[in-house]
This record gives sequence, C-alpha cells and structure tokens, in this order.
Amino acid sequence: MVMNRSVLLTLAAVAFVIPVRAQEAPGRIDLNDPNLVIVEASVIPIPLEIFSSLDKLGTQDWSKQVDEREIRLDANRSRTAMLFGLVVSDGFIAVQAQDKEAVRRVGREVLRLASSLGVASSVEQHANAIVNGAGQGDWPVVRKELDKTRQTVLNKMSELRDDELVALVSLGGWLGGTQALAAVLKQNYSVEGSDLLNQPDLVKQLKTDFNTLPARAKRGKVFGQITQTLEHLESLMRADASGAISQGKVIEISLSTKNLVDAIYEI
Amino acid sequence: MRFERLHSLLALVLLGGFSSLRAQEAVEVKPSLDELKLVAQQAAIPHLGGGNPFILRESTWSGEVEPGKARLIQVQLFKRNDYHFWVAVPDRKAAVNLNLYNGKGELLEAKTLRYETPNLASLIATPSETGIYYLRLSLQSTVEETQPWTVIYAYR
Repeated sequence: MVMNRSVLLTLAAVAFVIPVRAQEAPGRIDLNDPNLVIVEASVIPIPLEIFSSLDKLGTQDWSKQVDEREIRLDANRSRTAMLFGLVVSDGFIAVQAQDKEAVRRVGREVLRLASSLGVASSVEQHANAIVNGAGQGDWPVVRKELDKTRQTVLNKMSELRDDELVALVSLGGWLGGTQALAAVLKQNYSVEGSDLLNQPDLVKQLKTDFNTLPARAKRGKVFGQITQTLEHLESLMRADASGAISQGKVIEISLSTKNLVDAIYEI
Repeated sequence: MRFERLHSLLALVLLGGFSSLRAQEAVEVKPSLDELKLVAQQAAIPHLGGGNPFILRESTWSGEVEPGKARLIQVQLFKRNDYHFWVAVPDRKAAVNLNLYNGKGELLEAKTLRYETPNLASLIATPSETGIYYLRLSLQSTVEETQPWTVIYAYR
C-alpha cells in the first residue's frame, strides 16, 4: 500500500481530463427555496484576483498605491486583526507594483502583527519566505506566501476559537484591496473597469459578519465607524443598469474606504 | 504515518480504475479535510504552469453532502478572469458534479472536467459580469454514505 511519493505526484500530473457537458444539473434554481443548503463559510477575494481583471484592460500604475504607514499597536486585538488584514493587502498591492522594499517591509510587519495576535510561530516561515522572495524578485512565490500567511492566520484563529478576529482579518484585507482598487479607478476611470466595484452582496455579507460580532470584539471608536461605512459602501458598490459604477460613486468609494483605513491606523 | 495515509488516499483517488488496490483497503481510509484538499490540489497542479497558468488560492470550502443532495457555495467573481474550481470527495465510487449559476439562479455554460475517478471533478468558467455566483456541488446516488467534501479554486 505504501507508494513512492514522486510516483503519485507524476500520476497526478498526467491524470487525464475529459470535457463533458453539465450533468444532472437543473437549468435554474430558486435561490429563495428554503430547502437549498447554502454553505455558510465565505471566501473573500484577495486583491490580486481583482487587480488581475483590471490589468486586462491595460497596465495600471499600482506603485502610487504602495503606502508606507507607521503601525502603532495598542492592546486592542480587534484593531490588530484589522491591521493584519490591511498589511497583507498592502503586500498584495506591493506585489502588483513589484516593489521589493515595500514587500520586505510587509513581511516584517506581518510577523510583528502576528506576534501581537499570538500566532507568530505559525506565520514565521511564510513571513521569511515573503522577505526572501521579494529580495529575489520572485513574485509568484511572494504572492503565494502572502495568501498562505493570510490563510494560516485565519486557520489558527479558528483553532483558537478567535472567530471574531477571523472576521476582522478578512474585513481588513478586503478594505485595503478595495481602497487601492477605488483609488486606481479614480485616477484612471473607465466604465469597463468600474464594474469590479460591483460587490453589494459581498459588502452585505461583510456587514452582517461584522454586526453579529460580540460587543467585546468591537470596543474602540473606529468600530462605530465600520458599520456606517459598510452601509454606505453597500449602496455605492452596486452597478447601474448598464453594469457600470459612475465616476462620482468611485470617488466616493475611494474617499469612504480611505477614511476608514486612516481611522484604523490612528490610535 | 501521515505520509502513508496520504499516499493511500492519493493512490485511491488518482489511480482509480487501474489501481490494484482492493476495495476493502479503500474503505479503511478516512481522510481528513486537509488530505482532501491535497487531493484537489494534486488535480490542480497541471493547470498551474505553462503559458497562461491559473493561480491557486489557499482558501477552501468544505463540508459534508448526502447522496442525491447538493450544496451551494456563494462566490464573488470578477469579469475578465477565468476561474477553475475543483471538488474532491474520498470514496472513489462517489460521483460528484460541479455547476455554476448566476445571481438569478440560471445555470451558466462552463467547461466541466472529469478525472480518472468520479470523486474528483472540476469546472472552468469565465463570468460575463462581476457579481455573486453560486457554485452547486452535488453528489450522485452511486454511494450510500454521506461524503465529506472540499472545494478549492484558482483564477487567472
């Protein structure tokens, strides 16, 4: 029964694939059917997933979105969790801009924040790989390690029953990516690109996740601002009949997300 | 020990019909969700290289599904990207399907891929609009036992 691992990997690589038509799938499903079982876990897209789509419309100047901010930590773990999400999203932006120094900085900050959250040992190897990958300009490795870092922290938080922090890391990551996307679209608006901000259901999900967090996870003045901003974004991040989001709304999304990010960084 | 377990599981899934494994050895394997994720990742590997590779996300969805039943996964997809989803369940006799629906509940055209055994499947789709979609995972009634499942995805 014991097999050589390399043999298995080879077999995996050559496993053949047969295209077939959809089988036994209903042509339409009633999404309001109470018998439908919808998986509760939500996976938040990483910024690179969205940037990848925008770059197909033409090269964007991501370097202007690379921001060097001083991170001052306090005892508020919820805020630290949001900062962690924001810093990882900064890493994705720096990868897109291929900014080695910014990625190295992110690698170091990720480790510092993970230490503050009590999960440094799980993140250390990924943080080191980010710093080393950046040094070599190996962007695919950096991208992969950033995603691994993010996922490792989320998994570790779940293991430690810190589910409220999971939601806040995800929210911080989404917020950082959305701020960068909106800022790029503001500078270089296109109707086609604006549709990437059409995320009302995702914002609604994030808002629900945030609102259901226990009060102890929302202590601090910035947390009062979050619900309000998400409500505002939910109405803004909805495409019109033509599938676009107007330039005015893009500017407002950019401003709104920037204000919230600034508030999270401030002590 | 973990490697042996993993080898058993991978052999089970990947060698499928031409494996010399006996059926009773197969049912002894109780994979963890991490191992199912690895199986799905093995299936993804050929799509992660070459000229226009997919980029695999670390995030996964997982759960359990009864024979003849389905689960819906809500996903935010972005226009102009291609997405590739893989699903894996442990029992090689279990046939699993993936389909994609838009936010109105309409079935979308997508390329469905089948592997050596029916307990692995994948789907490639290119959304025409940015928005919420529903990935439908269904288990045919070819087995009697509820199956744990894992879905992974990649984009390009």
